[in-house]
Amino acid sequence: MGRYVLRRSAQILLTLFLFQTLLFVILTAMPGDVTNQMLNNPDVPPAVAAETRRALGLDDPVLVQYGRWWWNFIRGDLGVSYSEYPEPVVDIIRERIPRTLTLFLTASLVQFLVGFALGRVLAWRRGGLFEYGSTIVGVMFYTVFTPWFGLMMIFIFGARLRWLPLGKFLDPMLWSQAVIPGLEGSGSKGNYVFGRLLLTAGLAVMLWLVMVVITRKMPRRRRLQTLQLGTAGLLVAAIVLWAASDIGNLGWDIVKHMILPVVTVTLVGFGRTMLTTRQTMLETLGEDYIQTARAKGLPESEVRDRHAARNALLPVLTGLIIGLPYTLSGGIVTETIFSWPGMGLTLLTATNAEDVPLVMGTLSFIGVLSLGAHLAADVMYAFLDPRIRYS
Amino acid sequence: MNATTGSLTQSHPALWRIRLRLAWKSLRSGWALYSENPVGLVGLALIAAFGLMALIHPILMATVWHPPIYDPLIGYDREIIVHPSPPTWVPNAAEEITSLSPLPPFRHILGTDPLGRDVLSQLMFSTRSEFALGIMAALVTVLIATTVGAVSAYFGGLVDAILMRIADVMFMLPFIAILIVLSSLFDFQMVHLALVYGLLAGFGGNTMVIKSQALTVKVKAYIEAARVAGGSDLHIIFTHLVPNLLPLSFLFMMVTVTNAIFSEAVLSFLGLLNIRMSWGIMIQITQAAGYLLISWKYWYLMFPAGIAISLLCSAFYLVGRAMDEVVNPRLRKR
Amino acid sequence: MMNGPALSVYNLTMHYGTRQGEVSAVDGVSFDLARGQSLGIVGESGCGKTSIAFSLMRLLPDNARIKDGYILINGRDIVAMDYDELLKVRWRRIAMVFQAAMNALNPVHKVGQQIIEAMDLHLGVMTTEESRERVAGLFDLVGLDPALMDRYPHEFSGGMRQRAVIAMALCCNPEIIIADEPTTALDVIVQDRILKRIRTLQIELNMAMIYISHDIAVIAEVSDRIAVMYAGRMAELADAMDVFKHPLHPYTYALLSAFPSIKGERRALMTLPGEPPDLLNPPDGCRFHPRCPYASDRCRAEQPPFEDLGNDHFVACWHPLAGTPSPSRPRQAAQGVF
Repeated sequence: MGRYVLRRSAQILLTLFLFQTLLFVILTAMPGDVTNQMLNNPDVPPAVAAETRRALGLDDPVLVQYGRWWWNFIRGDLGVSYSEYPEPVVDIIRERIPRTLTLFLTASLVQFLVGFALGRVLAWRRGGLFEYGSTIVGVMFYTVFTPWFGLMMIFIFGARLRWLPLGKFLDPMLWSQAVIPGLEGSGSKGNYVFGRLLLTAGLAVMLWLVMVVITRKMPRRRRLQTLQLGTAGLLVAAIVLWAASDIGNLGWDIVKHMILPVVTVTLVGFGRTMLTTRQTMLETLGEDYIQTARAKGLPESEVRDRHAARNALLPVLTGLIIGLPYTLSGGIVTETIFSWPGMGLTLLTATNAEDVPLVMGTLSFIGVLSLGAHLAADVMYAFLDPRIRYS
Repeated sequence: MNATTGSLTQSHPALWRIRLRLAWKSLRSGWALYSENPVGLVGLALIAAFGLMALIHPILMATVWHPPIYDPLIGYDREIIVHPSPPTWVPNAAEEITSLSPLPPFRHILGTDPLGRDVLSQLMFSTRSEFALGIMAALVTVLIATTVGAVSAYFGGLVDAILMRIADVMFMLPFIAILIVLSSLFDFQMVHLALVYGLLAGFGGNTMVIKSQALTVKVKAYIEAARVAGGSDLHIIFTHLVPNLLPLSFLFMMVTVTNAIFSEAVLSFLGLLNIRMSWGIMIQITQAAGYLLISWKYWYLMFPAGIAISLLCSAFYLVGRAMDEVVNPRLRKR
Repeated sequence: MMNGPALSVYNLTMHYGTRQGEVSAVDGVSFDLARGQSLGIVGESGCGKTSIAFSLMRLLPDNARIKDGYILINGRDIVAMDYDELLKVRWRRIAMVFQAAMNALNPVHKVGQQIIEAMDLHLGVMTTEESRERVAGLFDLVGLDPALMDRYPHEFSGGMRQRAVIAMALCCNPEIIIADEPTTALDVIVQDRILKRIRTLQIELNMAMIYISHDIAVIAEVSDRIAVMYAGRMAELADAMDVFKHPLHPYTYALLSAFPSIKGERRALMTLPGEPPDLLNPPDGCRFHPRCPYASDRCRAEQPPFEDLGNDHFVACWHPLAGTPSPSRPRQAAQGVF
């Protein structure tokens, strides 16, 4: 497996290289150049305009610019944003990436679990109204127009029922009154609390993984019970910890704002996973080892879960990997609907403001994010398929 | 079939005629399988319904609908004072609509939008361009994916490596992000969007799947035979390899149409396209004018376009799924 | 310990539903299997021998149904049983060694684990060590290195996989074992070894065995009794020696004649004209009559009953070849017959 991971990493790096080059091509090919916003003002004397261009290196040959592009990228210097002057682009991105990641990861995980569980059950009942009905429902969710759906959700749950907030990621009034020593302004306070939330989540996940590894030797049934207890315990501990701290209500505010976007992305995404799972389960049904499992006297539920599903997991995971860009796209669109201040919204507002450095930087990072997610998913796949793990 | 079993010196019908006959036969048996699945038929029915909508619109405009009122872009109903106004057949409409004189119930079946234009007319008018967009994007995708996949599988080696890396780039990146940037930099109309989308999608994941299919065809005996008989590479690729990939390509066409229509709607909604009228634009106008999240009474503004997008996308997807059962025999019930 | 046969099948009839209609795959098959006895079922492809095997464990696909008959295992009718009861009977009383073990093992679970899974289900609570010891013992029995139990199926060769599948079939000490062409997918040398191993195990563990194959040479090596299937019906059933020395059914005779004899005289291979009937629309009367040189009007109209003609030798034929010389004296039989 080590070789596989290395090979895949090399491929991904190469792809990253190509992507960055593509971005550069777009940058060079676009009408005008980086200085559009600055220098299109007719009051700027042409001499100054020419001088600025030369100072920025825009008169240099393309290859030199290309080299400089790479040099800057490696150093992490992505320029300074126009619309949020004088914030460096890297800082803006660094602030916003965690928010996109949270949304993306949580939504991906939830929609996968839900879709897989449903698809697994659906595959076991073939034909009849049930199969067709569930196909239709799945397709409906899959093709629903995301912005429209998101807006409907806001309308129903936010405006009409008033259960959940209408958008953004925190409630400014609540936060301006909150006191966190050393921090001013709801922006930085928000980042602090958000960071803490992520830390908790990360720790919980790591502890959970440790638990899974520790219980490997246990017999199946006992292991299942232990894991369920452990997961519940972790969740309760995390909640209690937060409730007892003084930033508890702030944390809850953020979580509350997260619910609707996550639910939206989940609902839009799970249809696809469900349909793919069902399809691969059906293909798995014809395999010989399913017959062996039945012959051994295993009840249908175990045949389905331990044998069919475990094998169907692999192609479904592949399908998920292929669908990662779509999930990311869906996340970007959702961010714009809910004004969730992540990479997607940043990209859109920067584009509208013609803030070229920020646009390029954001696009760059979205690419890195996508490729990183790909690599992670590929490694996970290699781990789950014993044919690759032990080859 | 004495033609094919006759001796070599006998004349037999042209190769293309035999091919046509075989193609027709496989089409018929494919259709028999396809039509067993109601899901596929539902999809086709929906597509037909939308097609009808697209075709009827110009007829309606030429006959029953008075252009100054019903034109989807510049129509304006002067008889109604306040726009947007609800559909005229709704029972309590008379109270809602402030008009100069009582209106017949089918005047505005889906009401009018904030700019005074008939909603149904807009819906039907956009259908045409949605179809055009979807099909164009799909054709471009299929063209690129099939060719690149076949070439890549056939030549292998360096050609394959390069093409696959390019495919990787396209495949791993979220389209929307790239489209957002591109559409803001360049002036995008429907055609441009179709081409760019076709390019991105064609080079992406589709290529890889078609390539792996091409690989299984490449090792078949008749390819060897063709090579031995002296066929040039190009000839082999296009006469032997590609026809076997067509069913799979056709399947991808369906999915591409779905995604292309969807992407266009999103971009229109975000206001990034230079298009005058589409379903996405309809939603965008509703939102920009502030009518989207106010109350259920503006349902005729909130639902038609969104549902149309969903239905047309689902239709193509369902057709694709049903086709999958025909093309992929492992899924068939006995 | 119960007396009486391990397996008793009476009038088993099983049909498949297809797009074109109902296929009568197994029709009125009856036989007994005594404890520790090995029965070989032989016949052409599509004659129903595998269908019988799957019917015995009720491992039928959705479109197949047992229309008639009963199957008694240890005195209990499998056909009428509740599904939950059936799950307890499967593998514990009757187990199967599948054809083409290539895919019979789940690729994502360790081989040892798959065996332990069956044992956990049927043999009650055992600690991990106990389970592993047992698996090690089973592996030893079939000739596999016990260390392999923690490996995955793709790390096994074809022959090794077949042995593992055999070990798995034995793990719950079933009284009856069905081997469905277990060696067809293997090369000849491995085939021979596995064959001998199966026979030895069967005798050692005193298990009743049903061995299914289209290869009569293989059947001859492993069986105490032999059953000949044709077009979904049993044509002949007798002790192995009787089948070879005194075949009573014309089809059996043809089957035996299709093999060149190393020791006998050189002669042309005899072949049977025609093909097995389409089971969608089986012929009336005896299903073999279209190809049988002895066919009479009675054969065309009435189906012959499956009867014991003495010495536990069952035949379904209106004109059994009583006193036919065996194929080693072909000249007499070959005259104007086939």
